[in-house]
Amino acid sequence: MDRFYRTHLDSGGWLKGESLGQDQVIDAIANARAESSTTTTLPLVALEKVSRGYDSAPVLQDASLAIYPGELVGLAGPNGSGKTTLFRTILGLLLSLGGTMSRSCPLANFGYVPQSAALDPQFPLSVGEIVEMGAYGRVRSFEIYPKKEKQLAGEVLDQVGLRHLAKKSFFALSGGQKQRILIARALMVKPKIMILDEPLSGIDEATRHSITDFLIKLTREKNLAVFFSSHDLEMVQRVADKIVRVDKGRVWLEKGKHAL
Amino acid sequence: MSSFFEILSPSYLLFPALLGTAIMGLVCPLIGSYLVLRRTVFLGLTLPQIAAAGVSFTFWLQQTGFLPEWGQGERSIGMVGSLVFTFLGMGLLGYLEQRGKGMAEGRLAAAYALAGGLTILFIVFNPAGQVEVLNLLKGEVIALSQGELSLLAIVFGAVFVAVLAFHREFLLISFDRDLAFLLKGRQIIWDVLLYLLAGLIIAIGVILAGPLLIFGFLVLPALAARPLVNRMSSFLILSSVLGLVMAIFGFYSSVRLDLPLGPTDVTLGCCVIFLAYGLSRITPKASAALLILVGLAASSGGCGSRMAEAPVPEAKAIHAEQLWLAKVKNSTALLLQLPATNPLRSLAEMAGKISSDYRPSVMDLMRDSLKTELEQRGFRISLPEEKDSRFAAFPTDVSAAVRIAREGNLSGLTFVGEIQRWEIEAQRFVRVLADFKIIRIDDGAVLWARRIQRAVPTPSATNSGQASTDAVKEIVRDLFAG
Repeated sequence: MDRFYRTHLDSGGWLKGESLGQDQVIDAIANARAESSTTTTLPLVALEKVSRGYDSAPVLQDASLAIYPGELVGLAGPNGSGKTTLFRTILGLLLSLGGTMSRSCPLANFGYVPQSAALDPQFPLSVGEIVEMGAYGRVRSFEIYPKKEKQLAGEVLDQVGLRHLAKKSFFALSGGQKQRILIARALMVKPKIMILDEPLSGIDEATRHSITDFLIKLTREKNLAVFFSSHDLEMVQRVADKIVRVDKGRVWLEKGKHAL
Repeated sequence: MSSFFEILSPSYLLFPALLGTAIMGLVCPLIGSYLVLRRTVFLGLTLPQIAAAGVSFTFWLQQTGFLPEWGQGERSIGMVGSLVFTFLGMGLLGYLEQRGKGMAEGRLAAAYALAGGLTILFIVFNPAGQVEVLNLLKGEVIALSQGELSLLAIVFGAVFVAVLAFHREFLLISFDRDLAFLLKGRQIIWDVLLYLLAGLIIAIGVILAGPLLIFGFLVLPALAARPLVNRMSSFLILSSVLGLVMAIFGFYSSVRLDLPLGPTDVTLGCCVIFLAYGLSRITPKASAALLILVGLAASSGGCGSRMAEAPVPEAKAIHAEQLWLAKVKNSTALLLQLPATNPLRSLAEMAGKISSDYRPSVMDLMRDSLKTELEQRGFRISLPEEKDSRFAAFPTDVSAAVRIAREGNLSGLTFVGEIQRWEIEAQRFVRVLADFKIIRIDDGAVLWARRIQRAVPTPSATNSGQASTDAVKEIVRDLFAG
């Protein structure tokens, strides 16, 4: 059974994080269902009036959001508006300044696709090695990398159509190919939700279409939740089921099937 | 002079030192690879210097009486200082990193400068043991004892196993900290473990091999391997292999050319980096062909059989009986006097041949031994100073030797010898560089010449005098046996 994780502020304003027991999970699920008037499905991630930031300066203010399985959610906003901060908050990489956040699956089931420019090209890594990293959470330290994980790596590379590049250097690929490889690595995690930080920036139009088509396919065929960001509002409107807008730290829903 | 295959033989005198160097060359690059990839190369330079400061600090404390004499030997107490300073330095650098004040490079540069300064100051404060401490910091891997080799093998072996076991964790935490957090949680333990392993090999390596060699092994093989590979697994393997190659060929060059090991290895490592970047610009097939050519050239230069060196000829063979045996010249800048307890001196003293103030030297001992052997070869030996007491030692430079002999009205042949290096290493062997020649005074022709340039084993010596005595016997035996 998946564990249920929740963070909230106590009366003194301190951040509390807890991994809930079975009874508490049932309560938490009931609460989440009660909070959601439009769906009976448990949200994978739910934020309520969450404020986050760096060095006590808020970058996000009172962000409320819920993401459900099978949803394709777009996060649109100009550069520097707080998109990456919101993602890092959901992933637990940033400290909270206030509000409540809950996740109905462990972080190991979050497939995260960072901006490829954030990765250091100094590392000599092949495409295959990058993808195999996605399974490192399941492979123990002294264990030889299992065959079934190697097979899975081949399969996810097939899914993104780049198996033939498995032995190539990752950093020698084009921007679009790198994004697809990072998506393959996120799939290798066996995710329930995928979070993609600007997956379409710096790549040509044809590749953009192939990536967005692939993301739509993931939500429709595998019932994965996909949450991606872009500064291109038009493209997000064209692709996403639900659009979350962020600007100057404020977060609001612009269009979608589910209400916040 | 040793051939390449000779140094690889377990019976070779310096084999433990070679093995120790090879172990360091194999393991250090595995840790160094992560330092290079994490762009913390300067840590590989700074930590050995901090360890060196620890060594000199410990010796200074011991000299001032704050620390008791340690029966386990000077290296053991140096190792304690090296370990303590390395881990304290890492802790302090880690704390400053967490505080995030200033540039990382600036902190490392300042730490390096401070450690370098402290190392010298502690040596200066400790005049009683300056030479010993300097020797330790230079790295005496060549005098590695069996116990030290075992310690090295255990520590470096454990580090090797740990790097193999945790390579995925080290890669993940180094390459993508966000993914590491998602998959493994906030695992600061992997950062700490990596730096602990680095600290351990640096602290132990510095006291056994010196900071320069350890820094070279940490960083240079990884820098050389980087342009040649596109896979992390290949990168780690190639770094390690290049470290091993650097260790073995560096050791061989050091022995063959009589050069200090640390600078020789580091120079070789830098050459390998240039070669690697050159190879990375050409196709893999051409790279492979070039590597094979370089390998063959190195093998033909290094693996060739040792040239037979002629022994001192019989008197009949050179049609001469009269031989002027000159005093052996000492060009080492050391006195090379034998200690008062030397049994040969006591015998001579008892026979009343020398005064009690006289201290025999290595040169005296060598000339006595040469005289005995030359007489057995049919030579009639005369000593130049018996003809004219103003005769000093002859140089091995032919024209100078001939000029001195002619000025003293000598004729026939003269046997000259010159010691240029005589270093006693832990009483286990003596590093020797000495030249010997038989010169015809009339025309300056060299009838026989021989250079001894090697570490002469003195396994049964219990003190430096005994080591010198044994080494002289071995050298003379070598000269006459070929």
